[in-house]
Amino acid sequence: MNDIMMGLLNVVSPFNLLVIAAGTGLGIFVGAMPGLSATMAIALLLPITFGMDPASGISMLASLYLGAMYGGSISAILLRTPGTPAAAATVLDGYPMAQQGRAGKALGVSLTASLIGGIISSIALLTIAPALGKVALSFGPVELFAIAVLGITIIGSLSSGSPIKGILSGVVGLMIALVGMDPISGTPRFTFGQIYLFNGISFIIALIGLFSIPQALRLVEKDDGLQKVASSIKDKMLPTFKELKSMTVTMLRSSVIGVFTGLIPGTGGDTACWFGYNEAKRFSKEKEKFGTGHPEGVAAAEAANNAVVGGALIPTITLGIPGSAATAVLLGGLMVHGIMPGPTLMTEHSLITYTLIWAVMLANIFMFLEGLVLTRAAVSVTKIPNKVIAPVIVILCVIGSFTINNSIVDVFVMFTFGIIGYFMDKINIPTAPMVVGMILGMMLDNSMNQSLLMSDGSWMIFLRTPVSAILLLIALISVLQATPLFGFIKNRFKKTTI
Amino acid sequence: MFKKSLWKKAVISGLAVSLMLTMTACGTPNQPAGTSKVESDYPNKPITVLQGFAAGGGSDQLAMLTGPYLQKELGNTLVNQYIPGATGAIAWTQLTKQTAADGYTLSITNTPMLMTNYLMNTEIKYTIDELTPIANVVTDPGILVVSKDSPFKTYQDYINYVKANPGQLTIANSGTGGDDFFTILQWQKATGLSVKMIPFTGDGPSWQAAAGNKVQASSTNLGVVYSQVKAGNLRALAIYSEKRSDLLPDVPTAKELGVDLVAGSSRGYSAPKGIPENAKKKLIDSFTAIAKDPAFLKGLQDAALPIDLKVGDEYAKYLKDQETEFKSIWDSVNDTIQK
Repeated sequence: MNDIMMGLLNVVSPFNLLVIAAGTGLGIFVGAMPGLSATMAIALLLPITFGMDPASGISMLASLYLGAMYGGSISAILLRTPGTPAAAATVLDGYPMAQQGRAGKALGVSLTASLIGGIISSIALLTIAPALGKVALSFGPVELFAIAVLGITIIGSLSSGSPIKGILSGVVGLMIALVGMDPISGTPRFTFGQIYLFNGISFIIALIGLFSIPQALRLVEKDDGLQKVASSIKDKMLPTFKELKSMTVTMLRSSVIGVFTGLIPGTGGDTACWFGYNEAKRFSKEKEKFGTGHPEGVAAAEAANNAVVGGALIPTITLGIPGSAATAVLLGGLMVHGIMPGPTLMTEHSLITYTLIWAVMLANIFMFLEGLVLTRAAVSVTKIPNKVIAPVIVILCVIGSFTINNSIVDVFVMFTFGIIGYFMDKINIPTAPMVVGMILGMMLDNSMNQSLLMSDGSWMIFLRTPVSAILLLIALISVLQATPLFGFIKNRFKKTTI
Repeated sequence: MFKKSLWKKAVISGLAVSLMLTMTACGTPNQPAGTSKVESDYPNKPITVLQGFAAGGGSDQLAMLTGPYLQKELGNTLVNQYIPGATGAIAWTQLTKQTAADGYTLSITNTPMLMTNYLMNTEIKYTIDELTPIANVVTDPGILVVSKDSPFKTYQDYINYVKANPGQLTIANSGTGGDDFFTILQWQKATGLSVKMIPFTGDGPSWQAAAGNKVQASSTNLGVVYSQVKAGNLRALAIYSEKRSDLLPDVPTAKELGVDLVAGSSRGYSAPKGIPENAKKKLIDSFTAIAKDPAFLKGLQDAALPIDLKVGDEYAKYLKDQETEFKSIWDSVNDTIQK
């Protein structure tokens, strides 16, 4: 208890507050730039923190991570180009809202949802971290396979309009995920002798291309009529109490989903936003509104991706297991400060750990305040003529895809996906399922093969552990829900009860 | 009107900052290829260190720990450039094929991936003969760990089980072709026993699978799991080093247990083949000097990375010997794995 209070006292020192505010602001900015990810920014900023004391340095990096999770939604809403992969699901409802002249409201909902997601995950981090940390270890290949299967059922709900087209897009995504070195045998697959393809095609690079390039082209094609709608904030930015109340359940649900997705090593904000969105849609009474500019869709995705931050930090501080790519870099940072990440963080370095936890909590508040100011400024981006904004998007895409691996090959891959995305859009094939397929494909392939190696090829292994059996059952229900059969049973049930 | 121009300014300055960020990310571009003329004042400009793995990983950790001391010795800055992909092969191909041999580009070279990359995949064209090995800095010995709730209390319990259940025990490694993968193969060869190898995507997932009882054991590295063993989450049964580690003095070596096996993962620095003699000498001298610096040694100790300094020809011979060994192991198992 004492350590908790010491951490709080430590964090409210003027220097630490300044560092957290700066980290959060930088995070929002980095997040808003397509291609500049939180992970990359943390790696870049790491050397700067070496001069600070470890608690301040790590707090700054963690607040950057949190800020970036919100920042990604700004460009997703205003430009239809997700700033980070974690904001990809925000595009679905955020951009239609902006088109309807409700850009300010969309950003306000996103900011509020991010705040709630962040605060809930910080509370989880502060109170039940040791208990939840153990959950991270209970996820092995078998459980990860079940998560991937469940994730794939999301494709069904993303394909509004034509399920066949959605499934086509998703399957292509899954197939693209197979490119690269086979994780089990080490043999290259579909690489055509190119060592640049050995690691597969990064979904982040594909995502930049699929979402941003077609949007740049669309902006050039259309006249300036569209953006004039988006630019005027007529309504209030922050959701009213009534609106907030209607979204409370969704935000809470997404926050819990986010914490757990963050907790599981190997899944982060990029997965959580889809899960959050999907569950919001599943439980909603107005399913058909999703994808047309429904504020609840934005809230669901954004609460989930900000809740990931606290969730991903739980196994990081209790066990030394990074819950996501960004926390892996954070752990590397701790090592350079001479702190062995691991189970001793909570005991031997408790002051640093609790300072970090409070910093994450405070960073949420800074994010909210800075977000309010920045968002007003950001909306004016839409006042810039299309002919200017389109090339700027392309430039950002090139920079972003290059910096991920310092590879020009990635830039060409990005453009290839951009062109594919443009034509997919023309024939009304949704690109979102393809991204989900790519994110989950690698996990599905790897975990399935690992599990089958363990079980000598018996598929029963997936039903033998309770966690995976339950997850697979939910996946089965999701699939049935989408078929006419489910509606039939439901109708029958209704009739008999009446 | 004024307001509008202000926004424009804000947007433009925002873009400028993003460009600056990107510049830092890119690091300095490669030196133009050309003649490697002898310079007496080497190094007179920053040296680029290519890293074949993403920021925050094991190579980066070594670079972060070594960098400051090396810069002081060399009298110039080191710039890290991250080119992850194909288990380091993209960076090493660039180092050997596309980099001027002027001593201004180095790369962190990790064994056994440095060799196993091209031994296992014919698409990877570089070999260690195209390198000037400068210095090996650390060797992280292999270690056999099990979960704290495992029925295997000692190495003897473990081996008894493997003997009774040939090919049944599940053991995690950090990935096909990685150091732990080869360590298990070497162990099977040395003992004549067989286990069921499950590849994971890195050292972390490998030990975590053992800690969560998803697999029965994990073959990993001391530096990776030291804090977990110390905290009692994992139990170390044997270490594959010449002598016991100071960090875990109670863990017996494989040699003591009657298995002739020394294995691990080494990380050092190499330059392209044919760098100027004075540059090579300056680099080697610098590494020799920092290896005597108590502050540097303390940094390695805190990170549980055992120092293993081998410079110049000694490092070259070490790489060559390893190449021969890994080639023979890979050739003998290649057929069975591919099936």
